[in-house]
Amino acid sequence: MKLVLVPLLAVCTLLGQSVTPAGDSASDLNVNSRYTIESINFIDQRDYKLSTSALEDIRRLIGAKVNTEALDLLAQRIRAELHAHEVTFKLTRGAAPEEVRVLIHVDQAAGAVDASVPKLIYNSQLGFTGIGQVTTTLGSNALTFQMVRDSDTLIETLSGIQAKYDRLSLAGGRIRLGFEFDAYEDKYDSSTLAALDSASRPSSLGAGLAAGLGAGAYGSRLNYEPSATFVLAAPLTLTVGLSFEQLDHLPSAARPESANAVINTLRYHQRWTGSGGNKEELDAGYSLRAATTFLGSNLAYTRHLAHARYIYSRDAQSVEVAVFAGAIYGQAPLFERFAIGDSAMLLGWNKYKLDPIGGNRLAYGSVTYGYHMMRVFYDTGSVWEQGKPPEPKQSAGVGVSSGLGVLEKGAFLLALAFPLRDGRVTPVLIAGMNF
Amino acid sequence: MTVSSQGLVAHHVSGEIRVTAPNLHFLTGKSLSRLHDGAAVPFDFQLMITDSRNNVIARALERFTVSYDVWEEKFSVVRVRDFRKSGMRLSATSAESWCLENIFVPATSLQAGQQLWARLEIRTVESREPVAASSGINLATLIEIFSRPSRPQQDRWSLESAPFELASLNP
Repeated sequence: MKLVLVPLLAVCTLLGQSVTPAGDSASDLNVNSRYTIESINFIDQRDYKLSTSALEDIRRLIGAKVNTEALDLLAQRIRAELHAHEVTFKLTRGAAPEEVRVLIHVDQAAGAVDASVPKLIYNSQLGFTGIGQVTTTLGSNALTFQMVRDSDTLIETLSGIQAKYDRLSLAGGRIRLGFEFDAYEDKYDSSTLAALDSASRPSSLGAGLAAGLGAGAYGSRLNYEPSATFVLAAPLTLTVGLSFEQLDHLPSAARPESANAVINTLRYHQRWTGSGGNKEELDAGYSLRAATTFLGSNLAYTRHLAHARYIYSRDAQSVEVAVFAGAIYGQAPLFERFAIGDSAMLLGWNKYKLDPIGGNRLAYGSVTYGYHMMRVFYDTGSVWEQGKPPEPKQSAGVGVSSGLGVLEKGAFLLALAFPLRDGRVTPVLIAGMNF
Repeated sequence: MTVSSQGLVAHHVSGEIRVTAPNLHFLTGKSLSRLHDGAAVPFDFQLMITDSRNNVIARALERFTVSYDVWEEKFSVVRVRDFRKSGMRLSATSAESWCLENIFVPATSLQAGQQLWARLEIRTVESREPVAASSGINLATLIEIFSRPSRPQQDRWSLESAPFELASLNP
């Protein structure tokens, strides 16, 4: 009897103890909770598609002290949104003492297939642009297949496929390898064909333009693009690679041309949260494409493009400033030439009316003010030919933009843009996801 | 993972039975990787004093949460029952020893002249269990945890001392 009573008393004594102190919190148990989160990034540097509210959670955590419970909840949320097998995070030293970086590791379920529509735009002047995407991940290998119809981004309207293989995590996540194959059919606005025809005549637009236009209209385009992305110092990355483009001309009897280029992209993308609750985001990059006969290219040119986008937000208000600048030297094909007057730059203008074959110089700036879902923006920019004076154009507009319901994963935009010019004002309607 | 028996040494200090285990290292493997990644890793401890019939005479249950300072590269341990009780800036071995120093059973319930054994069991908390839950742990939960077999994905260490009598223990 005594032997029964003794352990019973022991258990009763134990149960009488309070294990959990009042006011305990998980973050207090982690010695790193005294450090401030400098940044949150994915280890493999992939651009995962997250909901706006998940991105908001990330922004909220940056600048705050490490909170294990909040980071666990964020990991669970990302796991659910990406249908991942497991999402974990690790802390590393930040650039400044007392600050740490959070690196998120996404372990995709083997063979899981994720279907999405990363881009869908309707522009009342340019029509529909859409991308359907299927991605499957096997360990550290990701395969992405896209069907594309794009009348928005380039001078040509392209339809086709993109297939990409990514080796996601090498050297502890500091290197990513990729290989992309693209196959497009290309169509052109009548104004583009007319301008190309005119440019090819010796007495027309001028020898300068004809010389700078590396290839005329092509009916299809193939691209083979191996690349490697290096994390130089997170979030600064450098992508280097090669692009082998084959252009099949119209008519099909013409000899194919090639635009084989070395590609380099330096990118910096960082978010901060200030002590006063203000949030900042900077996305800046510089890309260089250099096509050379050394790679067997018929066309020789270099294309430089630099961009910076800065967003400051506090409470319900936000201000976004974006600038782009580009220059092309040599004989670049149409797909390399700059165009604005679409659904991303100089909204409201028609790119074909501004310059039906694009330009080899680009300057563009934009300011957007946001209050809750409302957006008011002002755009200005120009594309022009080297040696000619730029003719800056301006536009302004209003719209709504936010994550909405099933469209939460991508920002949804509905905007009316007005080109600012003398005479009549013709508003342009733009609707889409993922701007 | 099981450390062989006889690796546990019992001590009688100020009316309490404490244990040492010089060969025990539980800050290893996956748990150590998680710690180096800046995570807080909880470990559940059970110290039992049993008699020759394997009856539990006394028992102590504790959860210790270990974390690793990514800047100072030192370990920190918090005893969840009283989180003001903590060890800071420790090496891995010191952190392991700190946990053992802070789990004990009162000697008052033990009879002099009785042959006794000390048993120590340590389990990692499953990684899928949020660390936040560890702060809300109570003794009933710990008893329930140790009453069921460990899961394959959990690391587990079990040690047993040589038989001893209360009077023969060294401090």
